[in-house]
Amino acid sequence: MLKSLFPTLGRFRFTVQIIMLFVTVYGGALLGSYTVDRVSQALPSLSCAFDKMTGDHCILIVNQHQLHHRVGEALANAKDITLKVFIPTLMSVGIFFMFFFFLNKAFCGWVCPLGTVQELLRKIGLFFKRPLHQFEPSNVGRVRPVKWLMLLVLVLGLPLLAGMGVASNELGDPFCQVCPSRVVTTLLTADTEQIAVRTGTNINFFLGALGNAMFGFMIIAALAVRQPFCRICPLLSWNALFQKLSPMKLVKVDSHEKCEKCGVCEKACPMDIHEIGTEFGKKAFHEDCTLCGRCAEYCPDDGVIQIKFFGIPLFKSSRDYYKARVKHESPEGTKKKRVIPILPKATPNNG
Amino acid sequence: MKTNSIWMAILAASISVAQADEHPMAASAVMPTGHDHTAMMGRPMAWTELPILKTKMSGKTRETTVISIAPQNIVVANIDAWSNNLKDANAHRQLVMEMAGAKLDKPATGGFQMLTAREEQTDFVRVASTVYYFGERGAKNPTAMFMQQKNELEIIPQPYPREHSRYRADEDWKFLVRFKGQPLVNQKVNFETSNGSKVETLTDAAGVLTLHIPDDFKPVEEKKEGASHDHGMRRGADLVLATEYADGGKTYLTAFNSTYGADAYDKRNLAMGFGFALLGMVGAAPLLRQKKTEKKVDTATDKKEEV
Repeated sequence: MLKSLFPTLGRFRFTVQIIMLFVTVYGGALLGSYTVDRVSQALPSLSCAFDKMTGDHCILIVNQHQLHHRVGEALANAKDITLKVFIPTLMSVGIFFMFFFFLNKAFCGWVCPLGTVQELLRKIGLFFKRPLHQFEPSNVGRVRPVKWLMLLVLVLGLPLLAGMGVASNELGDPFCQVCPSRVVTTLLTADTEQIAVRTGTNINFFLGALGNAMFGFMIIAALAVRQPFCRICPLLSWNALFQKLSPMKLVKVDSHEKCEKCGVCEKACPMDIHEIGTEFGKKAFHEDCTLCGRCAEYCPDDGVIQIKFFGIPLFKSSRDYYKARVKHESPEGTKKKRVIPILPKATPNNG
Repeated sequence: MKTNSIWMAILAASISVAQADEHPMAASAVMPTGHDHTAMMGRPMAWTELPILKTKMSGKTRETTVISIAPQNIVVANIDAWSNNLKDANAHRQLVMEMAGAKLDKPATGGFQMLTAREEQTDFVRVASTVYYFGERGAKNPTAMFMQQKNELEIIPQPYPREHSRYRADEDWKFLVRFKGQPLVNQKVNFETSNGSKVETLTDAAGVLTLHIPDDFKPVEEKKEGASHDHGMRRGADLVLATEYADGGKTYLTAFNSTYGADAYDKRNLAMGFGFALLGMVGAAPLLRQKKTEKKVDTATDKKEEV
């Protein structure tokens, strides 16, 4: 039954993504207006607090507010930094980790509404036969540090400086002001407030203009590039800080001679992580991995790549699965014409 | 006729409160001892004669912040606070009036707090009510607390704006009006704002009032509000809803007050928003062009299938 509903890991993940898109974007409308105040408020995916219908919201807005209003203000007042100041921040990180412990970066690949929207956009791009642009091993390294810069500057640095009174108060939540998920999720609830640029001050205007331009760029880029915003998302780097601490892992064998000449898993990876093909063991689980599982789906050899939870394989590569999978979809995501099995003609029984 | 008499009584109470405020000793003759009588009286509001509860934050740091509630246009000795965690033994507590008003303590569970003040005489009962929100992770759903009967005549938000949200101009919000737990159909409700709007409206067949908050902010007021880090939670103006119902020889008047902000697009520009989004789209458009030397995308797959 389950196998007929979800013949591939990809289909199962897509179903989970669509369900989570509804929970994160419309969950509050379905489960009650106050739902968002009662779940975690520290979700490891870009579920937006500005969406009035959201079921829960991401940890980044909480981090920015706490650094701005608590830690920064306490430092500015030069008072004793008591545990009381840090407890809310530690609580947020603790609750975040309780979620993260079980699913690790699958929050990026399976839950994040912005990730799902970008994947849907790529499907539209494929429908209109738009090309696929991929990062090569030579240039992918240029974009990877951006996510750390986003985390350090927009999520941690500026809110802390704003709280200390060094930076303008309007820089208290700069990442939220430029986050495309704020615009995407609110537009999905037919709310155009967040796409309207704030004009109160120059900083408001600059951040709003930058955020909207980034949103526009992402919408079009996602038609031809897989997961364009995920590559620079500060939540990816935030999650990467904790990824080694979760029992949910992507595991690759310590050596496999065919990997050198194959590279199909690299082509399947929506984040262009070439290390999944070239590295082995722990190094193959890269900081950019979103645990989507496509590399395991498209590995043509048995048991080379696996997704494990507490050491128990949840999914592992297999040659039979691979052969069935590529009949319908290429590693890059191009759909193939449905293969209709040709049955042997029945021989007339003359007897 | 009865309605008019009540309004006159309110007006008279307001005047007496004003006088008491100027001459505190005059009030002490009728008030119980042991409290600050001036604070108990509250100051009459210029913009409304309806009973309201004003909340005020003081203190330099988060740790020293004190929330005080000042009743206005109503004479009370206590304020009732209702926590959203109904199982808490301290869920309903009485806050004693002090000099600057009643101090509102933050319960461990935080979240929404319903505050009510009740003034009762032989022929009338007047109630002022409002909601205060303490940001706290995992706070209980306040719906049951809002729906719990606290007074005979009640105005209950359906729902109250959650965190990161507030009442705003040009938005519709719903309120249930009920008497002794029963919805009041076609009940008249008066609505006033500190910006000068006055509207009279009726509840529907379910006793629910749909209130359209008017956009009555003046341009000068908008400038004053500034454009700093506001989270959409800054004070804008005050609003109050009030209704009156006569039963068993008594007249009940209940008011619910809160604050509201300017409309969603205040200090925002939608056209520019779409313009910048379009600019970003144009910037990404070259990515949509077909590559000149387009490779067959599934070469690797086909090759591998042969392995």
